[in-house]
Amino acid sequence: MTDSPLVEVEGLHFSRGETEIFRGIDMAVPKGKITAIMGPSGTGKTTLLKLIGGQLTPDAGRVRIDGQEVHALSRKALFRLRRRMGMLFQSGALFSDLDVFENVAFPLRVHTDLPETMIRDLVLMKLQAVGLRGARALMPSELSGGMARRVALARAIALDPELILYDEPFVGQDPISMGVLVQLIRRLNDALGLTAVVVSHDIKETLSIADYVYVISDGQVMAHGTPQSLDVDRDPRVSQFIHGEPDGPVPFHYPAVDFHADLLGTGGPR
Amino acid sequence: MIERIRRLGRLGCEVLEGLGRAAIFLGLSGAGLPSAEGIRLWLRQMHFVGVMSLAIILVSGLFIGMVLALQGYTILVDFGAEDALGQMVALSLLRELAPVVAALLFAGRAGSALTAEIGLMKATEQLTSMEMIGVDPLRRVVAPRLWAGFVALPLLTIGFSVIGIWGGQLVGVQWLGVFEGSYWGNMQASVDFLDDVANGLIKSLVFALVVTWIAVYQGYALIPTSEGISRATTRTVVYASLAVLGLDFVLTALMFGELS
Repeated sequence: MTDSPLVEVEGLHFSRGETEIFRGIDMAVPKGKITAIMGPSGTGKTTLLKLIGGQLTPDAGRVRIDGQEVHALSRKALFRLRRRMGMLFQSGALFSDLDVFENVAFPLRVHTDLPETMIRDLVLMKLQAVGLRGARALMPSELSGGMARRVALARAIALDPELILYDEPFVGQDPISMGVLVQLIRRLNDALGLTAVVVSHDIKETLSIADYVYVISDGQVMAHGTPQSLDVDRDPRVSQFIHGEPDGPVPFHYPAVDFHADLLGTGGPR
Repeated sequence: MIERIRRLGRLGCEVLEGLGRAAIFLGLSGAGLPSAEGIRLWLRQMHFVGVMSLAIILVSGLFIGMVLALQGYTILVDFGAEDALGQMVALSLLRELAPVVAALLFAGRAGSALTAEIGLMKATEQLTSMEMIGVDPLRRVVAPRLWAGFVALPLLTIGFSVIGIWGGQLVGVQWLGVFEGSYWGNMQASVDFLDDVANGLIKSLVFALVVTWIAVYQGYALIPTSEGISRATTRTVVYASLAVLGLDFVLTALMFGELS
């Protein structure tokens, strides 16, 4: 990694109630690259994005974006920093009372004083980039899941952010919209030179577009490297995840008492 | 025994913490000068919260005024005091019934809707995505609703009183035959602007703040699941109603009781 990192995470600790989610995460997201964060479901990948975006506060550790420490910022400064970030939510999170055009125009209207004609041009450009210029008059309730996510992507890039965070962009997509999204993410990155963080557990798609990958498990970074180096990683835990083997060091079973004892009723409660 | 005391203490701390959170929330969303965009959003909420509540408030006001006249007449006529009907209807409405009943109806009609709307926006990550776009949802979503409720309820209360007094006239004068001159004349002579009209409005301003505050806070702080939304909506109506009735007693004691 020769580029200086845009996002730096240092010794991040976070817990929800009694459950410890992160136990010292360190990572660096280089400028202009796509960095993927992968790991089994329930490892807190989305939580990590929320920590980077400053929506959650860590118990210990630091998150720095472009040198600014996210959690030390005032509410106002944090909102200013967020204008330089885009985030694509799993559900799309479009504003249900605005149509497609207004959803994409929203960041432009609140953060710029551009004249209406310019806003119109910009919105149409962004919608053209995701292939939905013709859907501008539809309401979010009239969109399919894949379309909603593309509109959300257009909205996330409306202000030409430097950093874009993708939260599970491929979940629940049919093969066609999945392919469209994979291509869009790669193309946007190459064309606009933005830095991207993709959180996902869709291995094939993610590895095909990522420049660098972090695998998280058990609250720690289990492995990191380029997709090629992870593919040949000998660590059984990494290999199990990357190659999608059902059982291995990450057990198939949720921790439980011995099955035999459980059936006989001598294993404990119920 | 120790355990019980400990639990009581913890409960007390939690209640105080909740109140503190709600107060910070109120401060963050209510403070600051409105922008042109803020006024546009506020007007839209005024329509949703105020205009859309008009029908239920006016119909209820009419019936309450009519019932008051009917009940009042049957009692007053025994003493030959039916001339004081106008005074009775107007005072009960202005001082007590209009602020309280309008606030209760408002909590059921507009408060629950506010909670559910904000809650659903939270559940579908709309609030989070707004935050990530760099727009404070407290200013953009909560503040217009808070101010709309604060302004709308006192206006609705005035409408409630006016139509209630007219309903009382309908029953008392048109139907039961009280002399029209004494209905209006006695009312005019006995209702004091500061004592009755203004005090009623102060009550209604307090109720407006409390009801809308509870509604938007419950929506903003709820657990974003379907169960969470239904619970929060119920809580809004229950807490708001209890707060209105409790505060009404306190305010009445301060305004009209021996305490003043």
